[in-house]
Amino acid sequence: MTSRPGAAPVADHASHGEAAPNVSNPQITLRVSNVRKVFGTLEAIKNISIDIADGEFVSLLGPSGCGKSTLLMMIAGLTQATSGEIVLAGSPVHGPRGDVGVVFQSPVLLPWRTVLDNVLFPIELLRLSRAEYRGRAMELLKMAKLEEFAGALPRQLSGGMRQRAAICRALIHNPSTLLMDEPFSALDAITRDDMAVELLRIWQANRKTVVFVTHSIREAAFLSDRVLVMGRRPATVIDEVRIELPRPRHIGMTEEEGFNRYVRHLRKSIEASHAS
Amino acid sequence: MRAKLQASLKNAAWPLVTTVLLLAAWEIAVRALHIRSIVLPGPIEVVQVMVQRYDLLFEHLWPSLYLTVLGFALSVVGGIFVAVLITYSEIVRKGFYPMIVVSQVIPKVSIAPLFIVWFGTGTMSSLLLAFLIAFFPMTINAAMGFQSVDEDIDKMARTYMGSRWQIFWKIRLPNALPYIFGGMKISITLAIIGVIVSEFVASQEGIGYLIKLAGGLLDTPLMLGAITILSIAGLLLYWLIAEAEKRAVYWQAPIDAAGGPNA
Repeated sequence: MTSRPGAAPVADHASHGEAAPNVSNPQITLRVSNVRKVFGTLEAIKNISIDIADGEFVSLLGPSGCGKSTLLMMIAGLTQATSGEIVLAGSPVHGPRGDVGVVFQSPVLLPWRTVLDNVLFPIELLRLSRAEYRGRAMELLKMAKLEEFAGALPRQLSGGMRQRAAICRALIHNPSTLLMDEPFSALDAITRDDMAVELLRIWQANRKTVVFVTHSIREAAFLSDRVLVMGRRPATVIDEVRIELPRPRHIGMTEEEGFNRYVRHLRKSIEASHAS
Repeated sequence: MRAKLQASLKNAAWPLVTTVLLLAAWEIAVRALHIRSIVLPGPIEVVQVMVQRYDLLFEHLWPSLYLTVLGFALSVVGGIFVAVLITYSEIVRKGFYPMIVVSQVIPKVSIAPLFIVWFGTGTMSSLLLAFLIAFFPMTINAAMGFQSVDEDIDKMARTYMGSRWQIFWKIRLPNALPYIFGGMKISITLAIIGVIVSEFVASQEGIGYLIKLAGGLLDTPLMLGAITILSIAGLLLYWLIAEAEKRAVYWQAPIDAAGGPNA
């Protein structure tokens, strides 16, 4: 209902029509090619290549401080890769371009703005019409079960509600891709499970390409179509697991053997990376 | 609303009771020990003097108040302006900010005689001293507020291609408001000190002048009366800022100075 294919209002339309030479598969939304990142003398990311299909939910799973957040920031255009290329929706990423939504570890809502005004904040920054997006904002809040709190200030919300508002904000401008940087790691375990279910529900309705950074094996397995396991510094993809559990997924699935087989496999991959 | 009023009355009750008890102790001590009025008059006598000579007191209060408010206002505007420079100009931040911080240790009142050499006795010196004293905490607080923006908020804004201008008006400025009001509360009391000190040194009017004059005449009750009216004026100014803060920084749960957040 809210997803308008190819109608991302802020997307870089100039390069949309022409076929980028290095995108062979038209279904690929995000292509990371041979990306390397060096901070001073420290090699944080070593030669990562990832293809992510349109509408795919991909998790980057790895220990804290393994460079997965850095990769996410490079996709968002906030950090430049030392070498290699990132191509999003057909055009290379050289800086922030407004066609991605980002959710951080903390909700980073502006405390002086109401929930609705926080959700509309990207619209203001992108110099789009607030009036035009107000309806969409309310729709998103309704989907996140926050419509009653549209006029509330962030401090009146619980941690889980704040993070749901942050997800609404990341979706408001109908971005092609949603980047999530350990979005639930600051929440308690019970809220965290709820949030995973909520996120899938919202994603099911919007069907964005999602890159989800996490250090929780179960979270990655439950949410994703595909999990990329990343090793410690310098970060590189050490394993790739396709999660072929049916959708829509429900929390009961995490009790089942099929799910646990994936969890065991992912855990082994991570342990192997530690041993090496 | 009624509960809120009751709570604030309850909060006010304690300091009110202790104040009344202290004043009573003072009055009783002065009477019981037969302390001469020239040394220490009782609070009742001070109030009597204030009522009798209110025209004299107000005549001298107004110029002091006027200069205090003006010096304070200038320090707020100047402090915020310099804080913006500190935030956005590397030259100012690296070259001048350390200087501003270090200059905090200079007792500003010691400059008062120098100002009189430069600007003569009178309002200009008082105004400048008030401004100078109030300016530093204002600047440092505002600069802290502008710069203490959460790193992820900054990243979030840049993701959506927020311009410097947008980030300043929509993020840095509101983020700095609580700091700015904190600075204003410090600055208003310092502006009063600046004015009074410069009136001590050289002036023909103002509460500072009156206090010095009464001291010279050994009119202790008048001195205490002048100090009292000055304190009341200072409290009122502080209260005005605190009220403005409550309205401007509406998103923060109010912090009760007497102890912790009041529910």
